Amino acid sequence: MSTEVIPVEKPKRNYNVLFGLTLLALLVLLWILLSVATTSFATGNNIANLLRQGSMIAIMAVGQTFVIITGGIDLSVGAVVGFATVVVAMMINAGFPIWLAILVTLLVGVAIGMFHGFGIVKMGLPPFIITLATLTSLRGIGLLMTNGNSININSDTFTAFSRNSFIGVPNLFWMVILVGIPAYVFLHHSRWGRYLFSVGSNAEASRLSGVNVQRTIYMAYTLSGLCAAFVGVLLAARIGIGNPTQAEGWELQAIASSVIGGTSLFGAVGSVHGPLLGAFILATINNGANLLNVNSFWQRIITGALIIIIVYFDGLRRRGK
Amino acid sequence: MISTAQDLHPAPVLEPGRTILELRGLEKRYPGTHALKPVNLAFKSGEIHAIVGENGAGKSTLIKLLTGVMPRTSGEVIWEGQPAALATPHEAMALGINAVHQEVVLCRHLTVAANMFLGEENSRFGILQQRAMVREAQKIIDDLGFDLPAHVTLGDLTIGQQQLIAAARATVRGTKFLIFDEPTAYLTRKEADQLFTLIRRLKGEGVTIIYISHRMEEVFELADRVSVLRDGTLVGTRNIAETNDAELVKMMINRSIEQVYHKEHFTPGATILEARNLSGKGFEDVSMTVRAGEIVGLYGLIGAGRSEFVTTLYGRHKKSAGEILWEGKPVQVNSEHDAIKLGMALAPESRRDQGLCLNLPVGLNLNLPIYKRISSNLLISSAQEKVQADRQIADLRIKTPSRGALASSLSGGNQQKIVIGKWLAHGAKLFIFDEPTVGVDVGTKAEIYRLFGALLSKGAGIILISSYLPEVYELSDTLHVFRRGRLVASHGFRAASHEDVLTQAIG
Ligand SMILES: Nc1ncnc2c1ncn2[C@@H]1O[C@H](COP(=O)(O)OP(=O)(O)OP(=O)(O)O)[C@@H](O)[C@H]1O
Ligand SMILES: [Mg+2]
Repeated sequence: MSTEVIPVEKPKRNYNVLFGLTLLALLVLLWILLSVATTSFATGNNIANLLRQGSMIAIMAVGQTFVIITGGIDLSVGAVVGFATVVVAMMINAGFPIWLAILVTLLVGVAIGMFHGFGIVKMGLPPFIITLATLTSLRGIGLLMTNGNSININSDTFTAFSRNSFIGVPNLFWMVILVGIPAYVFLHHSRWGRYLFSVGSNAEASRLSGVNVQRTIYMAYTLSGLCAAFVGVLLAARIGIGNPTQAEGWELQAIASSVIGGTSLFGAVGSVHGPLLGAFILATINNGANLLNVNSFWQRIITGALIIIIVYFDGLRRRGK
Repeated sequence: MISTAQDLHPAPVLEPGRTILELRGLEKRYPGTHALKPVNLAFKSGEIHAIVGENGAGKSTLIKLLTGVMPRTSGEVIWEGQPAALATPHEAMALGINAVHQEVVLCRHLTVAANMFLGEENSRFGILQQRAMVREAQKIIDDLGFDLPAHVTLGDLTIGQQQLIAAARATVRGTKFLIFDEPTAYLTRKEADQLFTLIRRLKGEGVTIIYISHRMEEVFELADRVSVLRDGTLVGTRNIAETNDAELVKMMINRSIEQVYHKEHFTPGATILEARNLSGKGFEDVSMTVRAGEIVGLYGLIGAGRSEFVTTLYGRHKKSAGEILWEGKPVQVNSEHDAIKLGMALAPESRRDQGLCLNLPVGLNLNLPIYKRISSNLLISSAQEKVQADRQIADLRIKTPSRGALASSLSGGNQQKIVIGKWLAHGAKLFIFDEPTVGVDVGTKAEIYRLFGALLSKGAGIILISSYLPEVYELSDTLHVFRRGRLVASHGFRAASHEDVLTQAIG
């Protein structure tokens, strides 16, 4: 036979690593520029603030990425965050132990994700539709439960968590690591991760190969709901209130982070480190724009332009130009 | 760049034998693959020119360059004496170069008629003349002798039928130069004959034809000349009268093959699967058994219900009546999952739609059915993952830069090898191969048949579906013939003649 099989090189993996490094370089570059351009960027307080803000979007983006890899989309995550702040606040104020309040809130996220899976798998609804429906109705349910008011959380232990740091790093950022490492192992080193990719690439072929496609879809949306509910808990602790209208538009930020991080909306392409970096790049841009007194309207425009540029270059390189 | 003179003054039909298209140092590099090394070749007006070569030799690449689907890396294409850029499919079509590609590239969700006229719709004041188009398309199809409706959605047809539509589509475009890339891969003899009639008719009208195939007898039946590609290099061109099967194979793979259909006979063991009066969508009242150590072949025309029958065994579709017995016990197979648990494996018919995750790596595709086995708890053993994938790549000689390359970057035949390869390590008891060697070159075919023998020797049973009669004929211990959803005849190993089997299939 004329061709030798060279099993050592791994173009895909190399590419992933390369893209990750490029994003990391971009993030570092932004940080250096902002440190030079402003006096207030490189202060402990500001960095901690930036990490806190970025962390929450980052965690959502990880769950979102699982869904997008299967070729779906989860528009509900912002609403789930808002709803979760209400659930956790109500339970804490009702005197339940904090661990129980958090556990129940997470289970609510899981239930919402399962519901999405049910709608997609059993009712045959497109992911866009079922999660859009949840997006609007969940905000409504939250408003009904609170009568449209904010709930002030009356537990200092709970709210202190988000403000505190552990060995100099904000607790919220530790949560990114807590989520990120298992997520990485899950996506890249477990068979369930492989199945997410294969279902996103060709559901019929996966099914004929013995992959449980339905269960894989349930799993993706459940994990996304779980991540969002977890972020809801963190947000409630950070702002000290439960309010169903919180986290307005965060679903778009999560999707943007994921896409900037190299996830393909056509499915079957994505990683965990990409969306994490994407979230912090977005957070840095917002933070820097604030410090530079850039009009917040401009921030939105810049974010949009950045999405186009990064995804364009990513696409170019993927096609091998 | 586009030679517009062409469109304004259509050149008179060239006298036969003059060069119509010439390749000068035509070359193509993909990242990581030198698919076509500089090729010089001239095509004569009105000839049928066959191109043969191993999987990944560069045949389809050559076609993609000629039809403007891919840009070339270097070299020139001379069309009727003028250099042609061939930068877009549109330009190639304007010159009169058309192709029926190896993978059907039509819109599955549109109707047959809409596909036939895609890009050249018949409209009045901007309104599509849908009915007129369906009527016209039906007329063309009938004219060609294909027995197909024009108003149905393309995706509802089998791949073979889609291939015929693609051929019909190419011929209505006023073409001078028509390329067929493995058009008969999914066709049975009857449909192939219809296609051959069409090709000869086109030749009679002065159309130059390139014909790519892995089936030598077709090449000898149709072609005037034949060129052989090996590893992206043109190794030679022969007049068909001055060459033979053995010489071509030798040129293709640089060694000779004594026997393609390698058949080992084993004494059949216990019955693995029995279907009793099974009915479902597309087939009715089918009974058969598969025993350990035997190959049960299913032959029939396209649409005869063979694929529907096996996908129902496999739990993909619901049965409407009858019974399935597994090792003597009645079983319910409600999903693929159930089937795989029992010990079945199915390599499906359509590699694009059912067989492959095209935008994922070769290795992942090969391991997809066995991830459970190569992971402890939830974590995958990456060493096992590598070993398993590389073994299949080596055993089936899958031509790929590495197991990390995307499946979409492989040639058609090499993709097909993945569809089969992924089941070989699975350890199933009953293997169902639906058109397993579509587009696979002759050397690898022999290899695959040898692997069938290995599976049988381990006590497995095989159901083999093929539209290519010699294949099922030479390999099957029992050959069942399907016609319009019914099992109409059964024969032992080579017990009936080719003609009898064909007659029974056509009815
Ligand atoms: N899009 C692509 N990207 C990278 N490599 C490619 C691409 N398409 C084809 N190749 C490589 O180019 C080589 C030639 O492929 P080609 O499709 O021309 O083979 P072929 O002769 O048509 O084979 P087959 O008989 O299997 O259809 C193969 O090694 C293949 O892997
Ligand atoms: Mg080819």
